[in-house]
Amino acid sequence: MRCRIRDPILYNPGMKKTTPPKKTPRKRSGSGETRPWFWRLFIRVSLIGLVLLAGWTVYLDAVVTSRFEGRRFEVPSRVFARPLELYDGASVSAGSLQRELELSGYRAEGSGSSGTYRRSGGRFEIHTRGFQFTDGEEPRRRLSLSIFGDRVQEFTVLEGPSSPIVRLEPAQIGGIYPAHKEDRVLVQLEEVPQLFRNTLMAVEDRQFYDHFGIAPLSIARAMLANIRAGGIVQGGSTLTQQLVKNFFLTRDQTLLRKGNEALMSLLLELHYEKDDILETYINEVYVGQAGTRAIHGFGLASQFYFGESIDDLENHQIAMLVGLVKGPSYYNPRRHPDRAKSRRDLVLGVMADSGLITEQAASRAQGQPLGISAKASYSENRYPAYIDLVRRHLSRDYRQEDLQSEGLRIFTTLNPAIQYAAEFSVSDTLKSLDGRSEGTLESAMVVTSRDSGEVLALVGGRDPQFAGFNRAVDAKRPIGSLVKPFIYLTALQNPDKYTLVTPVEDKAFSLVFDDGRRWEPKNYDGQERGEVPLHRALSNSYNLPAVRVGLDVGIEAVKTTLQNFGVSGGISDYPSMLLGSVSMTPVTVAQIYQGLATSGFNTPLRTIRQVTDAGGEALSRYSLKVDQVADSASVHLVQYAMQEAMQEGTGRSVYRTVPDALTLAGKTGTTDDGRDSWFAGFSGDLLAVTWVGRDDNGPTRLSGATGALPVWARFMSRVPQHGFSPVVPDGVAYHWVSSEQAALTNEGCESARFMPFIVGSEPDIEASCGGSIERRVRSWFEGLFE
Amino acid sequence: MTSKLIQPTVLLIIAGALSACATGPGGGSIYVPAGTGETTAPQPPRVEQDTDEPRVVRKSEQPTTERRSPSYQDEGDALPAAASSLIRKADNLLASGDAQAAVSQLERAQRIAPRSAEVYFRLSEAYMALGQLGTAEQFTLKGLSLAGNDASSQRSGWLLLADIRRARGNVAGADQAEARASNL
Repeated sequence: MRCRIRDPILYNPGMKKTTPPKKTPRKRSGSGETRPWFWRLFIRVSLIGLVLLAGWTVYLDAVVTSRFEGRRFEVPSRVFARPLELYDGASVSAGSLQRELELSGYRAEGSGSSGTYRRSGGRFEIHTRGFQFTDGEEPRRRLSLSIFGDRVQEFTVLEGPSSPIVRLEPAQIGGIYPAHKEDRVLVQLEEVPQLFRNTLMAVEDRQFYDHFGIAPLSIARAMLANIRAGGIVQGGSTLTQQLVKNFFLTRDQTLLRKGNEALMSLLLELHYEKDDILETYINEVYVGQAGTRAIHGFGLASQFYFGESIDDLENHQIAMLVGLVKGPSYYNPRRHPDRAKSRRDLVLGVMADSGLITEQAASRAQGQPLGISAKASYSENRYPAYIDLVRRHLSRDYRQEDLQSEGLRIFTTLNPAIQYAAEFSVSDTLKSLDGRSEGTLESAMVVTSRDSGEVLALVGGRDPQFAGFNRAVDAKRPIGSLVKPFIYLTALQNPDKYTLVTPVEDKAFSLVFDDGRRWEPKNYDGQERGEVPLHRALSNSYNLPAVRVGLDVGIEAVKTTLQNFGVSGGISDYPSMLLGSVSMTPVTVAQIYQGLATSGFNTPLRTIRQVTDAGGEALSRYSLKVDQVADSASVHLVQYAMQEAMQEGTGRSVYRTVPDALTLAGKTGTTDDGRDSWFAGFSGDLLAVTWVGRDDNGPTRLSGATGALPVWARFMSRVPQHGFSPVVPDGVAYHWVSSEQAALTNEGCESARFMPFIVGSEPDIEASCGGSIERRVRSWFEGLFE
Repeated sequence: MTSKLIQPTVLLIIAGALSACATGPGGGSIYVPAGTGETTAPQPPRVEQDTDEPRVVRKSEQPTTERRSPSYQDEGDALPAAASSLIRKADNLLASGDAQAAVSQLERAQRIAPRSAEVYFRLSEAYMALGQLGTAEQFTLKGLSLAGNDASSQRSGWLLLADIRRARGNVAGADQAEARASNL
């Protein structure tokens, strides 16, 4: 799309034709008698030269205009985190609010300008910058709030339009760059402060508004200096020439290129207004490098170095940015602060000399530190795994080249505080697990919002900053016992046959296939327990009952349940699928557990809320959708057993890490020889899936409870949230039962449990505390109380 | 006979008290601040060697019922003020005919109050206005799954469902939903 013309201009075959004739006259200049002939030839050659030059000029003119008229810049797309919503009761810790502000480039100071905050203990005063959302503007405001018990309290708008709820501007977390990796934020000339423009001209091109593209006087001055120094030390280039050089030409300093540059500068000036050229210069100029990403334009430079928008810059900041033009890497303020500072102070001197600022203002500014934001307000690869998933989702609706050039704005669902907790939990827990296994342990984690399906955090490996293999999305591994809730859900959908207290057989058996092979599943601990109530079989993850129940309801039925919950790939027909021989990625597991976590409503996972064009106009929305895939009553029963797993079953070690008050539900998963250690579970707010294993699929000494669960538990303990407490759905009633006897019992009995049943499926026998069973003699009073 | 009569009464009273306890104040879910300080790293979890060994916890041994028995609640969460203000905003947008903008505000409200039936009923209404009846029906069902024993919420949900089903031409389903509403 962008036509970048370099060498073809210089080595155009048309050019070569002019060169030999020019040389001919010189060879013959010695002879006097050939003079008329010589002049004739000279005139002829000159004419040809002139025509060629005219042609060349026309060609250059076309190049200049087409390039300048057409879209001038490929602007990368910007990817934003979700905006933080602040209101009374909002769930956020003081630490994560501060991190959130820092991520958005807020400075901790009391200067009172926008983009700053002040914190003392749990009290915050925040000067927001404001943001234009597609659904309305959040104007600049001064907010006051305090955080107590990880919740926002005393939320007040001190300045600006009052509102009980305010969104902070979303932090940029990444970008989608063109192949040449030029990054920029386009600004219009009106947005650039007059002082900035004047300083730029004072330093780089005093006569900008007076010359016609080139300034012969400056060139002469520069040439003199260069001759004296015996090399190129000074450029007499105007802003126009610099722009042409960056825009159309290569960097080599040949005479031919100089000629082209001058010619094109003249042409550019002929066609376009000074302001137009200046605006383009301001957006084109190269001002730094961040890894492979080239920082272009002062719009991005302001954000990149100061976290400010260009219209908020102070004198010393303007001076530093303008000073940078002379040598962005030599004067790199992060790498060479001393050089940058002396260059800045020099520019401040020029500003004072030119009368742009007073001497006092200049010396005051010279006394200030550079004030560069400690690191780039975001780094390109801060969340590589998450951005990877965003790109995959984008590729469903957008072409790569548009993403790289149209300056789209992509609003994601990433929650930086949750991501932070997830990254910490993975990397820190993996360190402590290292001694427990041969080979390098790897890990992946997905966190979603339980009721909206928004992907809040994604970790693709134990080093979350490493943009390599994204295990959360690409590692397809057998899910082991994570499949069991779906087996029991399938069974519980038939309440006449299965309830939570239905006894299921925990006894070994063998299956003989047609081809003579045998399959003899075993429990993890190798034991058999005879009959166990269904809820206990699930919460303790016994294999034998799961296979028996699965075979009873049918592999096809279990497959259908899994497909309804969001498995799209093929699922094995072999009975071993009942022990989780089916492979899934962590993201797919999160998808299918969404329905278990939300009373049977499938909620498609989303990383993107909205995509807008550069002007903020909505291009696509990705809205919340729900789809009921299982009846809420049977899901409620499975949720009971999954809560029990956390309290008494395979997941109970979670409460060594997590506060007792945080009610949770979940399921462990382990595959043969500990090759895969899984945990999937949820609280009231969050659903998280963790996986630990080796990339080479080698064995480990870990189970779901000792590998993936510690990661999960540590994560859950670090995030303030609501406990899991599902609403009892229609058609479900709780009863006191003795589950071992599958009988109703007295609440006071030692073995009594208060358990949910689909109405009508509760036991019809009663057990005394001593254990003796009697058929319930319930008659007239039953109607009284139920 | 008398003892048999007393037994279920006691049971019901205790059950009622217990469910109230599980529900927490205001009918909402229990909010738990982060268990570890921001600045101090948590203790590495003590990893259990044999976690798959069953451990039957008797009720008498249970230290607190709060975490030792699975939790549930009888109705969804109440709406926080911030969510109500967004719903009011959505109402105005819907009234002025901008249903898409209303959906945006309601999605904000849903993120703040994801366990409130009300939010889903409002989303359902906005999608009705957009003519997306299938989506609307699903949101009503989701709302109903959170209405619990709140009769007025149940009633408005079933009536909404009846409207949507009728508009979709599902007369039998509409009648059924209406019947549910009038039984409340």
